[in-house]
Amino acid sequence: VAASLKDTTVDEIELRLDALDPHAESDQRTNVLTHMAWVPPEWSRAAGRVLKGLGPRIPSRTLMLHPDPKAGADRLDAELEHECFPEAGHDLCAEVVHLRLLGRTAKAPASIVVPLQLPDLPVFLRWRGKPPFGKPEFEQLVGVADRLIVDSDEWPGLPRAYQHLSEVFDRIAVSDLAWVRTLRWRAGLAELWPGIRAARVLHVTGPSAEAFLLAGWLRSRLRRKITLRRRNATSVTEIEVDGTRVEPARLPFASGSDLLSEQLELHVRDPVYEAAVRAV
Amino acid sequence: VIEKNPLREGLRLPVVPDPCALVIFGASGDLTRRKLFPAIYSLAARSLLPERFAVVGVARTEETDAEFKARMKDAVREFGRDKLDERVWRRLASGMHYLGADIAGGDGEDELLDLLAELDRGRGTAGNRVFYLAVPPAAFSILVEKLGRRRNEWSGWTRLIVEKPFGYDRASARALNEEITAYFEEGEIYRIDHYLGKETVQNLLALRFANGIFEPIWNRQFVDHVEITVAESIGIEGRASFYERAGAVRDVFQNHLLQLLALTAMEPPVDFTADSVRNEKVKVLRAMHTPGAKHVVRGQYGPGWIEGKPVLGYRQEPGVARDSKTETFVAAKLYVDNWRWADTPFYVRVGKRLAKRETTIAIQFQAAPHPPFLKEAAEGLRPTVLVVHVQPDEGVSLAIGAKVPGQGMMIRTVLMDFLYGGAFRIELPEAYERLILDCLLGDATLFTRADEVDEQWALVDAIVSGWSRDRPVFPNYDAGTWGPTVADQLIRRDGREWRRR
Repeated sequence: VAASLKDTTVDEIELRLDALDPHAESDQRTNVLTHMAWVPPEWSRAAGRVLKGLGPRIPSRTLMLHPDPKAGADRLDAELEHECFPEAGHDLCAEVVHLRLLGRTAKAPASIVVPLQLPDLPVFLRWRGKPPFGKPEFEQLVGVADRLIVDSDEWPGLPRAYQHLSEVFDRIAVSDLAWVRTLRWRAGLAELWPGIRAARVLHVTGPSAEAFLLAGWLRSRLRRKITLRRRNATSVTEIEVDGTRVEPARLPFASGSDLLSEQLELHVRDPVYEAAVRAV
Repeated sequence: VIEKNPLREGLRLPVVPDPCALVIFGASGDLTRRKLFPAIYSLAARSLLPERFAVVGVARTEETDAEFKARMKDAVREFGRDKLDERVWRRLASGMHYLGADIAGGDGEDELLDLLAELDRGRGTAGNRVFYLAVPPAAFSILVEKLGRRRNEWSGWTRLIVEKPFGYDRASARALNEEITAYFEEGEIYRIDHYLGKETVQNLLALRFANGIFEPIWNRQFVDHVEITVAESIGIEGRASFYERAGAVRDVFQNHLLQLLALTAMEPPVDFTADSVRNEKVKVLRAMHTPGAKHVVRGQYGPGWIEGKPVLGYRQEPGVARDSKTETFVAAKLYVDNWRWADTPFYVRVGKRLAKRETTIAIQFQAAPHPPFLKEAAEGLRPTVLVVHVQPDEGVSLAIGAKVPGQGMMIRTVLMDFLYGGAFRIELPEAYERLILDCLLGDATLFTRADEVDEQWALVDAIVSGWSRDRPVFPNYDAGTWGPTVADQLIRRDGREWRRR
């Protein structure tokens, strides 16, 4: 930890960031994006693991937002980390700013993050858990980011929540890690063309998010009604279409960090995903 | 009408080649061990090889499949960029075979074709063949003829990868080309120049054609001159028999260097397909000339020091004639006679046992026409230079003038660096990985076409034609320096200097 600031201001954080001077200790010379993450307390450990896994892959400024709206005082605390990755072959370092938004500060996150975003570079917003659609903190951050990354596997209340998500599609490009995890199965299903044209029933053994998205995808691509039948499992292990078993494509294993890293490289909307969500 | 599969739309899957068998002629050689197999393994580790894939190593040495696999496994461990994963290796090794056969001098092709047919049946390689000629040039013709005569014996597509050098001069390159095209179409021939597989070489195209700011000033009006350096600190590494005959001009200048120059000077292609890119490159190669014999200089290294250690002179290297006249260094001033580059010199140099390993392309822009500062203010200010670092430290840097903080107006050169490894923190793939995969996919963009090779040899022939009458005084530079003084004189005559590094 390079600095730990209690009841601080954005100006103070900016000053401290400038003083970190990554050139002094590393040969990192380029940033390619600002990575913001909204991390409620219950997601803190998981977010920390993914961030660690990201390691030196994406040179960026990471703003980790830890909201605590129930705190007694309205206050901003910050911790600045300057993490170096000697194993990357170069002495590469990354800036991570943990922002603790206490009390009503948690309702005005955009006013804090906008001055800290890197100019002229894309801003990615990773939202841990289910976003509070329509609430100020979510609406504000969507307004100051270029891409929203969610994992609908983390959401209760499916499939209804997809309806709310679809309402932001015209305002921000969206990545859903649950959708990314279905790739090998979608590739396997695509192999069944043209027989799959007349599909009626999709059986999925797996989490609800992946199952809903696969069914929505088939409905939207094939333009027909398809019934979803699901058995619960922690990951998709088996799929059948009208009794025909689907072989997934052989793809390298991807960790949570790999999936996030891949999405941080994308800049455009995914119309196939959007259509799948709308057809869930 | 074939209905398009709507389920394929938007699937972001890695593109995987068709099932095929890759046959490596020269499987006992250094190239296979150091470069080809580590590259094939890295492709396998990233699931970029087809499921139904086989590799057949062919060489005259007797070896069993098991010995071949063990030797290649060691090679992956020693030279690979990925840690060896037993699962990946087992999958790859299950399709590996070795054939100890003399195809050039005997009738080993019968055995090879039988084995390939067996792989089509047993492993599902679908009659698709890639033949990689990692053998000395003398063996190219006979191998091509023997394979060519039998090519109606398999049903799928065929691709032929030919390692450099492609010919010894223009006449021999044309003859070799005729021999190959007697049996194979131009679209089936992949002439490899591994420099084109380097990420930073491709980044040169991205830099030029993905950024609106460079193209308008990338011409004779704004560029003072271009400098391309391909410097190696190593010697000939035991390749005396090849190098004595080739020299620096055929080993590096004719291929790597002229390709770098073509990519630097070419017009924007209409798209990034193989023919569009190669059409533009060949126009540059066709427009190139050197203004005369005194604008090409050569050298040969004597003993010296590299990184604090004494090294032998070229003539003391094992296998080299004591009175060898082979050049280990070439520098030249070249011109590209077209609308964009007329009268803009391209200073180029290649050499062995130079002060350090470095490949760079430097675009030096003209000085500001009238700097409104005192003369002393800009002392020490160097011209604006955009440098593409091909290797090592891959990236791009721009040297510009900036005010020194404090009173008054003092201007000094500062460097803005884009370090490839700093922006994209993934390990750069090896050139051979990219090129082997492209060939398996049938993409020839990064391979040289016959007309390019022909133009490259035309220039080299023009350069070397005068050398046979010369009596060069060799050695004329010490190992560990930046080459002979004649190279400095070559550029100083024009009032310029080689870049300081």
